Amino acid sequence: MPSITAHASMASRNLLAAPRTASFSTSCLRFALPPKGKASQAGPPARGQKSLHLKKSARPRDTGKRPALGERKMLRKRIVLSNTNALEVHGMKDLNGKNLRAEAVKGAVVGLPEPVVDSLRAVEAFKTTQGWNMFRRPATLMRKESLQIAAFVDDVEAAVGKKTVRKIIVGDRASGKSTLLLQGLAMAFLRNWVVINIPEAKDLVIGHTEYAPLPGSNPTQYTQDAYTSNLLSQIARSNSAVLSKYCITTDHKLSILLPPSTTLAKLAELGANTPELSWPIFTALWTELTQPDRPPIMLAIDGVGHIMNNSAYLSADAQLVHAHDLALVRHFVDHLSGRTTLPNGGIVLAATSGSNQPASPALEFSIQLAEARAKNPIDLPNWNPYKTVDQRSLQSLKDVDVLKLNGLSKEEARAIMEYYAASGMLRRTVDERLVSETWTLAGNGNIGELEKGSVRLRM
Amino acid sequence: MVFIFGVNFPEQNLVKRSLETFYGIGPQVSQRIMARFHIHPTAKVGELIQPKILSINAELTNMKIENDLRRHIQDNIKRLRDMGTYRGRRHAMGLPVRGQRTRTQITTARKLNRIERDRRG
Repeated sequence: MPSITAHASMASRNLLAAPRTASFSTSCLRFALPPKGKASQAGPPARGQKSLHLKKSARPRDTGKRPALGERKMLRKRIVLSNTNALEVHGMKDLNGKNLRAEAVKGAVVGLPEPVVDSLRAVEAFKTTQGWNMFRRPATLMRKESLQIAAFVDDVEAAVGKKTVRKIIVGDRASGKSTLLLQGLAMAFLRNWVVINIPEAKDLVIGHTEYAPLPGSNPTQYTQDAYTSNLLSQIARSNSAVLSKYCITTDHKLSILLPPSTTLAKLAELGANTPELSWPIFTALWTELTQPDRPPIMLAIDGVGHIMNNSAYLSADAQLVHAHDLALVRHFVDHLSGRTTLPNGGIVLAATSGSNQPASPALEFSIQLAEARAKNPIDLPNWNPYKTVDQRSLQSLKDVDVLKLNGLSKEEARAIMEYYAASGMLRRTVDERLVSETWTLAGNGNIGELEKGSVRLRM
Repeated sequence: MVFIFGVNFPEQNLVKRSLETFYGIGPQVSQRIMARFHIHPTAKVGELIQPKILSINAELTNMKIENDLRRHIQDNIKRLRDMGTYRGRRHAMGLPVRGQRTRTQITTARKLNRIERDRRG
């Protein structure tokens, strides 16, 4: 029996032991160490290798509607010339061809007649930064300097083609330089002159319009066809009444055939529609305008500092092109410097800019020189020879006179503030005290600051 | 779409950007090419007239760009390696070639310096 017990004990032991065949478990696999891969054999990730991969949250996508092509530019450049909420000013006179220097308009705010407003709009004389959008209709103050320009207009007409007035309009920021230019253009339109205006000199030189070398020019000049055709379209739209009175008189040898009865307005339109011919057509138009018995010409440019240096264009061998080598700029500068005169007389006006003027030592010095020359022609400042200067600009501005814009007088300030009040934009009684206070706060009558302090500022 | 040097570009692309998509043309070279043909810096591809596109194509054909330039650079590295120079060896080891420290910041060398340089860069 002991054997049996022994067996029994063995059997019982066997029964107690875990049954081998029934074990089905995944634990050991689950708790096992991860298999050694290739990466772990090579050690830690190499320097510079990315080992931490975190998913970035997806950026919310902008699903808004994009503005259409040119829409933003249109909004940026939109000129508003009327405010229906402003009151109409009763008793305000309109400027016309006859009353430019009349006693009634001296120092008064005068309205601009509708056809002139259309023409001024066509030549882009109105700027977005000016306060036209606050009043019922465009009106300007005939200040002392405006009357000076009116006097130039009269002088030119009296001299019958013998006189070309050349002026650079200078003054502090917001002193009304561009507005004075606009007034000059308006007067020229009223007297049926031909007006050619370059609204922003910067557009010509920053390299944003196409350019091409002018064949047969030495040293090479460059034409800007897109800009010139746009300029011609502006000339055609703004001067259509004057230009359609005259027909072409000479054969211009253009590559297109012109019938002999082509009016100058048609010629300008033709240039506007065919950009590749715009420069020859511009020169043809200019030749026609300088024939005898044609009206005087008003040439104007705003932001003249931009054309007194190198432009952003490159020549074929990747050198910067001087602004005066651009045909259109050269055309203007020749007339500003007096190298070419206007055979039928006219005015060449160039306004500097207070807010967007690149550094141009030549222009700065020429202005200083002109101011000193006006005071005392003997004691003139000298250029510091150790400073670099653009000689071409200095040469071209050698004997140009300056029309300096100072602040308004108190009477002029009162006139314009009364206009503000009559338009309902200044809701205070305009008396000596208010005028004096505003005039002083505006830096001795700086007109832009005066407008800012009385109309734009709401307290 | 405008076809320049075998690639189609959408018309609203800038000429400058389009030229710079080619391997071997950067800001300087694109500026020089555009100056040669009097194309202003903000010109769009769609504004180019056909003769200008043709002359740009002709100009690009004469230049060593794209695969020609890649092969040229590969050949240069290969020559260094075959001569057994230090520079060639460093290229082959994927380490900086011009004496930079190797303790940190050698990502670019690791990426670029191979026995057979990658076609991409």
